[in-house]
Amino acid sequence: MASPAEWVGRLNRDVKARNARWTFVGDHRFGEALTLRRFRLGNGLTLLTLVDRSAPTISYHTWFRVGSRDERVGKTGLAHLFEHLMFNQTRSHAHGEFDRLMEQAGAEANAGTWTDWTYYYENAPKSALGRIIELEADRMANLVLKKPQVSSEKEVVANERKLRVEDDVEGKALEMLYATAFRRHPYRWPTIGWMDDIRGFSVADCREFYRRHYSPHKATVVIAGEFDERRALQLVQKHYGGVPGSRPKPRGPLPKEPPQRAERVLELKAPTPTEKVLIGYRVPGFSHPDTPALVLSSELLFGGRSSRLHRSFCIDHELALSVRGSVSPFVDPGLFEMWLFVRQGKRRADALALLDEELTRIGTERPSEGELEKASSQLELSFLHGMETAGGKAEQVGFYETVLGDGTAMFDRLDAYREVRVDDVQRVVQKYLRPSRRTRVEIVPDA
Amino acid sequence: MTLLVESSDVLPLVDVEVGFPVGGLEDPRGKEGLLQLAAHLVRRGPRGVSQARFEDDLARLGARVSVEVSMRATRFRATVLRRNLEPLLDALANMIWNPALRRTDFSKLKRQAVAALLSRLDDDQTLGALHFRRALFRDHPYGRPLGGTRASLRSIGIDHVRRFAERTFGRSPFIVGIAGDVDEAEAARLVEAYMPPTKALPRGGRNVAPTRLARGRHVLIVDKPDRAQTQLFIGTLGVRTSDPKLFPLIVSNTAFGGTFSGPLMQQIRGVRGWSYGAYSRLLHSRQRDAWYMWTAPASEYSAECGALQLELMERWVALGITRSELSFAKGYLVNSHCFDRDTPSKRLEANIDVELLGVPRRYVEQHDTLVSRVTRRQAIDATQARIHPSDLTIVVVASASEVAPAFEALPGVRSVEVVPYDQT
Repeated sequence: MASPAEWVGRLNRDVKARNARWTFVGDHRFGEALTLRRFRLGNGLTLLTLVDRSAPTISYHTWFRVGSRDERVGKTGLAHLFEHLMFNQTRSHAHGEFDRLMEQAGAEANAGTWTDWTYYYENAPKSALGRIIELEADRMANLVLKKPQVSSEKEVVANERKLRVEDDVEGKALEMLYATAFRRHPYRWPTIGWMDDIRGFSVADCREFYRRHYSPHKATVVIAGEFDERRALQLVQKHYGGVPGSRPKPRGPLPKEPPQRAERVLELKAPTPTEKVLIGYRVPGFSHPDTPALVLSSELLFGGRSSRLHRSFCIDHELALSVRGSVSPFVDPGLFEMWLFVRQGKRRADALALLDEELTRIGTERPSEGELEKASSQLELSFLHGMETAGGKAEQVGFYETVLGDGTAMFDRLDAYREVRVDDVQRVVQKYLRPSRRTRVEIVPDA
Repeated sequence: MTLLVESSDVLPLVDVEVGFPVGGLEDPRGKEGLLQLAAHLVRRGPRGVSQARFEDDLARLGARVSVEVSMRATRFRATVLRRNLEPLLDALANMIWNPALRRTDFSKLKRQAVAALLSRLDDDQTLGALHFRRALFRDHPYGRPLGGTRASLRSIGIDHVRRFAERTFGRSPFIVGIAGDVDEAEAARLVEAYMPPTKALPRGGRNVAPTRLARGRHVLIVDKPDRAQTQLFIGTLGVRTSDPKLFPLIVSNTAFGGTFSGPLMQQIRGVRGWSYGAYSRLLHSRQRDAWYMWTAPASEYSAECGALQLELMERWVALGITRSELSFAKGYLVNSHCFDRDTPSKRLEANIDVELLGVPRRYVEQHDTLVSRVTRRQAIDATQARIHPSDLTIVVVASASEVAPAFEALPGVRSVEVVPYDQT
């Protein structure tokens, strides 16, 4: 059987254009039975393939290394607006045709944008792969950006903002948290953008953003599921090979966030029946060696019914209906977010005092090995659940490739969780979860 | 005992489900939420083990256990790392058939249930959906909130719950489903070792009276202050599961509002940008369940959006779908059906629905054929026979002062009622 290097040799045989020539970069084991292969097209596009024949489906992801971090003051929300615009007209396909062709093929197409990335995906029956490659390549290079498309999508995004932020107490509080916790870094503005900025985008803004960020050099395509790799390479070469490979000028380093030395507190009055507290502790970026211990601490504190804070807040003291925590998976330093949903008749000050008490307790009373085992088992369970479908696998590969530069890094991460020791948990809690490193939004029912 | 197994060795993971053919419709009037309380009290663990210890044991196994109460069934679901399947089954069986049902746990659970009712007030879409069902079905059991109300929860005591749990889970027949990295022989051996014997499930389950359509168009405004956005539900009765018009109506509804490309989404979002989402849903059950459209337009054009939806709906019912819409909808439903069965747990769930809810087996096994056979005439007839644009329930979560006059002026509206959002 021919090797991937030989497939690539054959595919390149009659191809003169440098942009369309394949390079086989290598392969990596992906769990027990699968292999992730890496190819690069001459124009800079990275392709990762993961053949998995457990269901007659495929998932096609395109991850761009562009997010709200790439915006500037006055133009926030542009990366997210693109998530919408990319479903519009291209030079080859009329408005609405992208969705119609995808849905006709039985594909679910959608997208997501956050601080460091934007991704587009299709989960589809295996028969749809050719159609998907053609349409995705087309919109990477041929998007039509004119006033009617931009105006209509601006209105949709304004409505989305009202739905997710202005009328949503959690959305509004999160926006306040990041705007206060960060003073210089672009993480301080919301991915959906400020309303005035959304209203103010021009067609020229959109064209400039598209030119700068939607190029093969900034993209990784991931195909997972049941498909023929050689055929996929051939189709990607055919449809993406003509996309120009201009290497975008790298932007300068982002402003470094100065250290936080004192707690920052805000109050939000909202039409809500109960008090809530949202807290963000400054923590390092996702690639930092302390992140696995922080994620394990989050699981130990917030992960399910046996976690320390669920038990303490929701069962023993009945101070909160629920508590939630997560470590932001950002390239640059982010926040360990914690939510305390205080019960009616209880005081948020008491909830905060209990949180401080519990965090201090981790420092003074060592968590047991049994607690670590629980947290580690639960993380393993979540990891496996994330791998159940072709879509889940493609998403994990795309995320780890974009944020850590390695589409198989989730396995190392799982090993890293297993290697976290009690001392590590104590150390990161004492180091990062201190009041002076936190910003707090107190949500108060508006009388 | 009915044991369903879906084997797959792709991941070292197993899902287990124990289903009972008893749902929230069994709650006595005035004691809505009783079954949910009973099921969640069972979930707090078996006799002789504290709740905390039980949760620790599950977490250590790499297991999660949840309970879901729907109108007609209660399902205990567990997911576990393959290596710990046997101890998980032991713990799950002990929890269901030897529950502690402690008074102290019950008091806490009841306070938690009341707090959960209150927290729903933060979510406008959930609030709208609840009010929509209540307004559409009025005093029919389909309109009852499965989680109960503050008043109904207050009236429920530990003795009610113990009796109800004993009757429902202690003596009722049940079904077991296992999906994932386990073969049929091993699954059968483990189930026999840990689960009690049971009788076959009764066919069809408990019946309820037919749902009735309220004549005319009625608006209910759920008044919430400071809303920039509204949540708009417009709907009427849909179909029974056993209705021969079900598949024609599924195809017709898919063409109208079931995809991004349909006229509802295109006109509301694509052309006007009025709402982030716009879809129509067809629910079916033993009796006629709901058909409804959902959008979330800004307050300033919420009624205008509602008027356009009514116009689109009237056109859909009167003229029916076109040939190309029919072909598109059928293609979408058949081609995307693979996502209803791409994991062992999804395949298991579909088979459990057949046994537990009486969903005809051919709906699962011959889905693509049933869809493909629908003709344009059947789709149009089914839509006209079941969807009544003149008899509609319209629920809008909004700041009432900003939208009430415009909704009152919508064509055919007979009544407008305003309720405060925190009155549940």
